Amino acid sequence: MFTRRSFIRVGSAAVGSLALRPFGLLPALAQSPGNYKALVCVFLFGGNDSNNTVIPQDSSFAQYTSIRGSLALSSSQLTASYPSIQGPPVAFHGKLPNIGSMYGSKELAVVANVGPLIQPLTQTQYQNPQDAADLPLNLFSHPDQQIAWQTSIAQGHSPTGWAGRVADYLAQAGVNSTNFPPFFSVAGNVLEGAGVSTQPVALGPGQSLQLAGFNSSASSQARLNALTSLVADGSSISLVQAADATLANSMSDANALSAALAKSTPLKTQFPATSLGAQLQQVAQIIQVQQYLGMTRQIFFCSLGGFDTHAGELETHNVLYPQLDGALSAFYAATQELGVTENVTTFTESDFSRTFQPTTTDGTDHAWGSHHLVFGGAVQGGQIFGSFPQFVLGGPNDTDVRGRWIPTISIDQYGATLCNWFGIPASALAAVFPNLANFSSSNIGFLG
Amino acid sequence: MKLLLSLAITALLAAAPGFGQSVSAREAARFLDQASWGPTPGSIEQVQEMGINGWLASQFALNTSDLPDQPIDNAKGNFNENLAPVQAAFFVNTVTGGDQLRQRVAFALSQIWVVSATTGLPIAYAYPPYWRIFRDNAFGNYKDLIKAVTLSPAMGSYLNMVNNFKANPAKGTSANENYGRELMQLFTLGLTQLNLNGTPVLDSNNNPVATYDQTVVVNMAKVVTGWTYPTAPGATAKVSNPPYYFGQMIPVESEHDTTAKTIFNNITLPAGQTAEQDLDSLLDALMAQPTMAPFVCQQLIQHLVTSNPSPDYVQRISQVFDNDGTGVQGNLQAVITAILTDPEARAGDAAPASVTANFGHLREPILFMSDLLRGLNATVGASNGINAATTNMSQELFYAPSVFSYFSPQYRTEQGLLGPEFQIYTTQTAVNRADTVNQLLYGTIPGVKIDLQPFLSYAGDDSTLLDYIARIFLRSGMSSQLQTSATAAIDAQSTPMAKVQAALYAVLTSAEYQVIQ
Repeated sequence: MFTRRSFIRVGSAAVGSLALRPFGLLPALAQSPGNYKALVCVFLFGGNDSNNTVIPQDSSFAQYTSIRGSLALSSSQLTASYPSIQGPPVAFHGKLPNIGSMYGSKELAVVANVGPLIQPLTQTQYQNPQDAADLPLNLFSHPDQQIAWQTSIAQGHSPTGWAGRVADYLAQAGVNSTNFPPFFSVAGNVLEGAGVSTQPVALGPGQSLQLAGFNSSASSQARLNALTSLVADGSSISLVQAADATLANSMSDANALSAALAKSTPLKTQFPATSLGAQLQQVAQIIQVQQYLGMTRQIFFCSLGGFDTHAGELETHNVLYPQLDGALSAFYAATQELGVTENVTTFTESDFSRTFQPTTTDGTDHAWGSHHLVFGGAVQGGQIFGSFPQFVLGGPNDTDVRGRWIPTISIDQYGATLCNWFGIPASALAAVFPNLANFSSSNIGFLG
Repeated sequence: MKLLLSLAITALLAAAPGFGQSVSAREAARFLDQASWGPTPGSIEQVQEMGINGWLASQFALNTSDLPDQPIDNAKGNFNENLAPVQAAFFVNTVTGGDQLRQRVAFALSQIWVVSATTGLPIAYAYPPYWRIFRDNAFGNYKDLIKAVTLSPAMGSYLNMVNNFKANPAKGTSANENYGRELMQLFTLGLTQLNLNGTPVLDSNNNPVATYDQTVVVNMAKVVTGWTYPTAPGATAKVSNPPYYFGQMIPVESEHDTTAKTIFNNITLPAGQTAEQDLDSLLDALMAQPTMAPFVCQQLIQHLVTSNPSPDYVQRISQVFDNDGTGVQGNLQAVITAILTDPEARAGDAAPASVTANFGHLREPILFMSDLLRGLNATVGASNGINAATTNMSQELFYAPSVFSYFSPQYRTEQGLLGPEFQIYTTQTAVNRADTVNQLLYGTIPGVKIDLQPFLSYAGDDSTLLDYIARIFLRSGMSSQLQTSATAAIDAQSTPMAKVQAALYAVLTSAEYQVIQ
């Protein structure tokens, strides 16, 4: 039968340096239930204005207040100011109270001014590039910058995502004891999880991959067999093959998933009744039964959209941030309930941050470097990694005069830090993050 | 009037080149998969009788389907956000409306020019007027469409051209870049300059040439300053009108940026122009960009015919976009005719074996549901659960996740082919599609009643039954694999109804049905 198992596409040149390794040569990834690790990505679609997510409470706050004008949050619209082990004290948007407390209790870190880069880039190099190809492809464009975040190849045109390449590595190294996909999306198809030899599984929160309408009767089984044999049969039409492959994957993953989830017990943690709440609840339930799925390493993908705040940004944040805060804090509580806080690291991604200068419509436009949140028991919390840009329009961190910050940490460095904790050996990182070697450090330090 | 119209159509039909030529059932069904919400026994016969050109001519004359206007406020006095009646009516139109081609083209255009209730514009009454722009311009001129959408309060609200005022130095604000950027990126030009055949223009280092840079975006933001909502009946016009979604936005000259603005291709709009003069200059400038034709035409081809058109196909259609033969640019009726009658679209008409390997596109959920219901002779009530079914397959009408629509024209399958609709075809939604077929055949969808009687009359013989199903759902061509699988499923059933259901389940869940070839 044509299943995901037999369909693993290995051995092609595209696998690159991800050479097949004999099983068991990876002490860092030796399998034991306590050694489980999960990365959980929360993608904020639309480009979150992280300038209003986390705000330094040092002398730059005066510049923040002055430049941001109608979008400037006053102290009463912010959380308490939290001291930082490293970096300035910070306050969070007032609708992110739980994020703030997690920072205060050192379970959450902020990584400042991260974005797509091919190599370290000065303002002079940005404004007068020797070769336009030295700059990320199609800066400030939503789909292109989403792709840059998801592939970590800022030059564009990558058919695979960085987490998909991690999944390829896991599959080829035999890290998990089954061929169940290491990349698990509860937010649909995403390039981030597309690998060469592995493809993601996508499950709708609270849904199932089991086909409806079949029972054990002979007539029913005959219908099911017809479908099963057909998806395996091959077609001369390419897109028919592609559609067949997806349904074959569904059918191949369905039983393992249902069997594992049947062993789950209801979580005591209450998740908010929001889209992101439902997604993270589903993730927590999968993590609860990871041993029944045979997973030692898993990467999850969730998303929340609506961050394209060109107008009415304060109102939109007041709707979205409570959803984000409620879902993330519930998820952290669920990892506490499951006793896996040390095993699960959650991190944010987003298209880009937004102009520091407001628009005439009380919003902000597309920018570049953004501040991101990372939390979990393994995170070196209560710290700022990297540095905030100087809040000066046309200043040293600006691409132009509206406060579009040139990143000082690349996605490669952000991702490689996550992967180092995840147990991906340095020798495999070059294939996951091809631009990583262009940067001086491959570990930003937020995971020790 | 009606009589005159039908006389005119008859005259057109008689003059059409295809009139009187014999059209096979396969040719008719293939064409209807591309030009309608799906073939039915009746529409197959209609195309066979009229010929493709005759059918096109009759469709160009029809404009019969509307969506019902909705109350502005709900019972509580808040903005009414209930789009369910509009969604339900949309599917009544797709299943039973006579103006099939107009609806299909309008839907394709609405997926380029996206306004969504997901975030940004949840106001129900804004949608029927917005939809009518695509319906009424589906066979009109692209330039008129650009202007109509640009000035529509729905788009104005969604991408913030409304109340986008010129920079205010005292407040330290700049004009909003949203509409200026996406008008270029999504609606007219794209990020990369294209040759007439849709391939990227390359510079001397073989790098694609960008259509514009960030400086242009900043200036485009200024071009589209100084517009506000239409003044509601009985209200007094203000500089910044409150939301009102009937009619067109109106200029507010005091808030229009009158400086000179250099935009794409180094075109400069002179200082001192009014808001509308700047907009008209912008429209002229957009239409003058050779990249527009391939950018727009490739997407229309993808929506109607095939995800991976050859460069030659794109070029032929782009040429028609640039000149319809009478010197008119942007004539959508000519473009649609060219897309649907192109040799590449028609190449598979002879037999299934004549379809090339990379041809076709995956039926998106809204098209999938409409085709299923048409083919199964469904009666659809004014209130129905069809929208819930497409939502479950990741395509809720009027609720695209963002202005980037439900799927990207650039999305590629694992195998590296363009397959836009595959972006929402996941391990989950693939199952949900099969489950929808199951629900339709073995259960119920609220407000929907299918009629299997025509199929039942063929239930006595497997191959006759499958031939009949193939005529409606598979363009009279079923692979031997599907034939074998479906026959095995049928033979395990005992009653005629069970045989029909099993045969239909096998066919309608198959990828060769899901992919329009």
